[in-house]
Formats: sequence, structure tokens, C-alpha cells
Amino acid sequence: MIELMNQLNFAFPYIIRAMALLSVVALGALFSERSGVVNIALEGIMIMGAFAGAWTMIIVMNNFAIPRQWNAFIGLSVGAVTGLIFSLFHAFAAIHMKSNQIISATALNFFAPAFAIFTARAVTGDRALNVRLDYSIRNIPILSDIPILGPWFFTNAYLSTFIAVFIFIVAYIVLYKTPFGLRLRSCGENPHAADSLGVNIYKIRYAGVMISGALAGLGGVMFVLSFSTRFDGAVAGFGFLSLAVLISGQWKPIRLILIAFLFALFRVVSEIPDELIGIRNLNLPQEIWRMLPFIATLVILAITSKGSAAPRAVGEPFDAGKR
Amino acid sequence: MKKVLFFSMLFLSLFIVAACGGRTYELAMVTDVGDIDDESFNQGTWEGIVEYAEANNISHRYYQPQGESKEDYLDAIDLAVTRGAKVVVTPGFMFEEAIYEAQSRYPDVKFILLDGAPHAGDWVPSIASNTASIFYAEHESGFLAGYAAVMEGMTSLGFFGGVPVPPVVRFGVGFIAGAYYAANELGVELDFGPGNYEYRYSFAPDDTHRVRAAAWYARGVEVIFSAAGGVGSNVMAAAQAADAWMIGVDVDQGGLNDHVLTSAMKALGTSVQQVLDQYYAGNFPGGVSQTLTAAEDGVALPMESSRFTNFTQADYDAIHGLLADKTINVPAGYDDLVAFFTEHGLGDLPFEATDVLPAD
Repeated sequence: MIELMNQLNFAFPYIIRAMALLSVVALGALFSERSGVVNIALEGIMIMGAFAGAWTMIIVMNNFAIPRQWNAFIGLSVGAVTGLIFSLFHAFAAIHMKSNQIISATALNFFAPAFAIFTARAVTGDRALNVRLDYSIRNIPILSDIPILGPWFFTNAYLSTFIAVFIFIVAYIVLYKTPFGLRLRSCGENPHAADSLGVNIYKIRYAGVMISGALAGLGGVMFVLSFSTRFDGAVAGFGFLSLAVLISGQWKPIRLILIAFLFALFRVVSEIPDELIGIRNLNLPQEIWRMLPFIATLVILAITSKGSAAPRAVGEPFDAGKR
Repeated sequence: MKKVLFFSMLFLSLFIVAACGGRTYELAMVTDVGDIDDESFNQGTWEGIVEYAEANNISHRYYQPQGESKEDYLDAIDLAVTRGAKVVVTPGFMFEEAIYEAQSRYPDVKFILLDGAPHAGDWVPSIASNTASIFYAEHESGFLAGYAAVMEGMTSLGFFGGVPVPPVVRFGVGFIAGAYYAANELGVELDFGPGNYEYRYSFAPDDTHRVRAAAWYARGVEVIFSAAGGVGSNVMAAAQAADAWMIGVDVDQGGLNDHVLTSAMKALGTSVQQVLDQYYAGNFPGGVSQTLTAAEDGVALPMESSRFTNFTQADYDAIHGLLADKTINVPAGYDDLVAFFTEHGLGDLPFEATDVLPAD
């Protein structure tokens, strides 16, 4: 029993970390897709955010003596702003120019790693940006001492995880309890009806894409902070994984969180099956464990897709003359 | 307006094509998987070339293949030769078959193949007189790392390999031999068995590597030797969070993180420079394959940047000397490892053949 507790205490922070990252990025994509714009550029936007955030943190670290968590906060903010700006390219092409949304997003995905590596190399002579410092919060007074929850959520935690929780609450309220949220959702379902009621489709869709850009950029910095402590021109496919989370989560925030948890759980468990009590006696090959998140996705999708809830107008450029 | 845009794009692309035709580059390197600043294999080679070329004022350039197939490599080599390359350096055994074709296609161009020997896909080396094939004694490098870690006082060790290609396997075998050799010398018990020895089947960073490394550190592993390229950065992050140690690979990685104990180095840069020296002196070592060992300073630990407290320079010189004069013959494969354990009375080898060299 004690052993099991120790294992859970070990595994849980990692699950939470991956879950926070996946759900923040997927939540951003949710805003974009519910407003009617497909955003598969998440991976590229994350890379740009990670690049800008990591670079900023290195500059700040080298020049100013400020506490680590403040630096992390600055890095996260810069990443979010960068992601927001970068996503404007996609927004402009997809909304204003009515281009194919898959193509303009793919362009961003190709552009981002090349640009980031090129710039990093031009500036520092090295493609990788080493953040070096460990930004985890080892212990939080009082909170870390709470039984069970303390070690799970408040030991070796990252600032970004708490930001993710905050973002989730705000996003949920915005989406379901404000006029803006209602308009956003209506733009993704029936933009012409919304247009006839005086909603500015362009504005709403721009807002949707920009929110997704900001959250993806934030996610990119979260990746650097909590997984690699360095930027190396990639975010290990988390952008695409978030897209899978969004779709498996049926474009709904609560379901999305559950799916993100499932993905994160399998991602962590599949790495440490031989360390976990109970599971290690099964003697399954590691390959089986690595397949699990994807098999689980297929099964979940098969079960839930009956009531598939993709926004009806997602991917369609808005044309006021076409009713 | 659209026409203007179209024609300006056309001119721009013509200009780019034309601009490519101009200069020639005498020294060329074609990169393996990864880039010239992978902080590992490619970078070590490239830095050696740059240093040599700048000291001697020779034009140099690197080429990145479009993919990882033989055709992609050959395309890159073709391009390098078209652009005037007299010497083409290719790091990595992945180039073996590509060089086999290239060496007959371009008899006037010299090829330096690191970590491999050209063959036609049948693993029978066929080295033409315009190709120099260089191997490194990775097992000796791994041996030094394992020996140093245990002499430093660590008893719980781990090994992360990338894809189990021959150089990576040699690193691992040498690491086992070095660790147990030192343990025997000190009379300590090691916690280092198949459960702490694993191939990640990847050379790229990913969060899953970090989780795996963290799990090992959490159950008491003190140091992980990561012979897996970019995976090393995840191991460093895990070591940092757990306040434990890791050992880098190929080049001196001590500057990347404060938790890098030492690095199992291969002298990529210097060996390329030696061959280039021989080429410009008129005696290119073509047609043969040579293995650079501790005796030729082909492998080493970077003692200046290592973070040892107990393992001294004198200790290092002593063990390095034993390797260099072949008093200790470090095993490179599993059978040799078994023989090594018997020869030195190291007890039972805790590893099965399939642990060290997994069947595919």
C-alpha cells in the first residue's frame, strides 16, 4: 500500500504536467474551431511560442536578478503574445482572404521550425536554446503537506500548471456564460444566422484564432519549462496531439479535460509499466503500452462519435452572399 | 498588379537558382540524421572541419540530405561534388551503402567515412583507394565512463541507448565492462542489471524519455549514461530535477547542464583533421579501415569539464594508460563481454545477450 502510494506520488505530477499542456493547447483550438476556423497550425504556433519564450527567459536570466518564477511568468507571457501574433497570419489568410484553412495552417507548421532554428542559429550560433534552470516549485508551504493532494498537485509543481487551471475556469465562463461566448459558438454553427442578427463574424473569428494562438504559444513555453528545459526547434508533436484531444473531447471543455487526462495518463504509464506495482507482473512488451493511448482514443471515438459535435460551419470561409 | 507580382517572383527564383551556381567548396560534409549543431555526432565532426578549414583557408560547406535513405544521401553527395568538393566527409554508418556507390562514381573525389566501412548492402567491406574508413573504439569510451562513475563512488547505474546500432551497442557493452571492472577493484556491489539497461529506439528528445529517466532516478539510480543523441537533454532535465547525475556522449556535453558528470567522447573532430592533414600532405589513408582507440587518443573523457570529486586526473591517466597499452582489452560485443568477466574474475554477468543486443 505504501509502495502504491509512492508510485502514485511519483507518477501524478508527470500526468498533471502533460495534461495541463494538452488541455491548454486544445482549449485554445476549441475557441478557434467553435468560431468556425480549423487551426491545425497549433504545432507551428507552439514552436514559435516556445522559441520566443525560451529566448526571453535566457536573456532575462542573464541580465536581471529576478526570482525564477517571475522569469517563468515573463517567458510564458512572451510565448503567449508571440503565439497570438503568429496566429494572425493564419487568421488573415483563413478569414480575410477566405483561403483554404488547412493549407495556410500547414504553411505555418512548415515555417515555424525553420524560422526558429534559423534565427536561433543566427543570434546564438546554436540551434538549441538552453534554459538550463529547473523551474519546478519543489514545495509550497502548507499546501504541500495536505495528504494525497499535496504530493500530487503541490510538490514538484510548475507555475504553468496553476496558470492552466486558471485559464480553464476563465475559458469555461467566457464560452458558456458571456454574450461573447454565445456569439463565438453561433459563428461556428451557423454564421449566416449570426450575421443576420448583427454579429460581426470576422471580428469573432479573428478573436477565436487569436485566443488559440495565445494559448498554443503559452503551451509551447510550458513544454520547454516542464519537459525539456531547452528549446530545440520542436515540441514533440504536442500540437497535433492536442488536436486529437480536442476532437476526441467533442469540442467541449469538460470532456476535453478528461481526454487530456487519459492521454497524459497513458503517456506516463506506458513509460513506466515495469515500475508500477500490479502492472509489472503482466509482463507485456513495452510496445503494447506505447500503443495504449492511441487504442484508447480509437475506442473512445468509436463510442462517442455517434453524437459527434463538430461545429457545423467549421472549415468554411464565411461568405455573406451565400445563404 | 498580379502580373507584376508573378514576374517578380519568377525573377526572384531565377536569381536564387543562378546564385547557387557560383562558388565552389573544396571540403564538404554531408550530415547524418540531425543537424550540424546536434551537440553530438554531426557537430563534433563539423567543428573539426571548420577549425581545420579556417586555419588553412580552405572553402568548406555542409549539405543536409533530404531524407535518410541511400538515395537521399547520394543526392547530397552528388550536389557536394557538383559544387566542387574534393573531400567529402560523411559521419555515420548509415552512409556505408551510399559511399560504396559514390566511391566508384567519383574516383577523383576522396571520401572520409566515420563510424563505418562502405559495402554493397551485404556487410562485406569494400573500401576503394579514395575512401578512408574510420571507426572509433566506443567500447573503450564507455568503459572509461563506467569505470569513472563507479570509482567516483556510484553503485547504482543506468544506461539509455538510442537505436541499437553498432556504435551505441559498443558504448553500452564498454560501460558494463568498465563499471564492473571498477566495482571489482573497489570490492563493492553494483546495482546495474537488465532493468537499468535500455534502448529508447530514438535519438530525438521527447517528454517520455524524461518520465522514464525520472522513474529510474526515483528508485535510486545515481547516474544514467545516455548514448542516445538528443534524448540526452531529457535525461539532463530529469537528473536536474532529481538532483542526480547523467553522462553525456560523443562530444563534451559538460557545458549543457550542471548535472552532466562527464562525457564519453569520441575524438571526431581531431580524427577528421588528421586525415585531412594526410590528404593535403599527399598520403591519403585510402583503401583501409582504421579504428581509433585510447592509444591514438580516439576516445577520452573530458577531465577539465567533468564534475568528479573522488575520481582524480591521476586515476584517469592510470586507467587510460592501461587501455592504451592494451593491458585491458575492452570487450566490444556480448561474447567478448562474457569472456572479459571470466578473465578478470568479475563474477556472474547479470546481462543476457538479448539485453545487450536486442533481436529486431
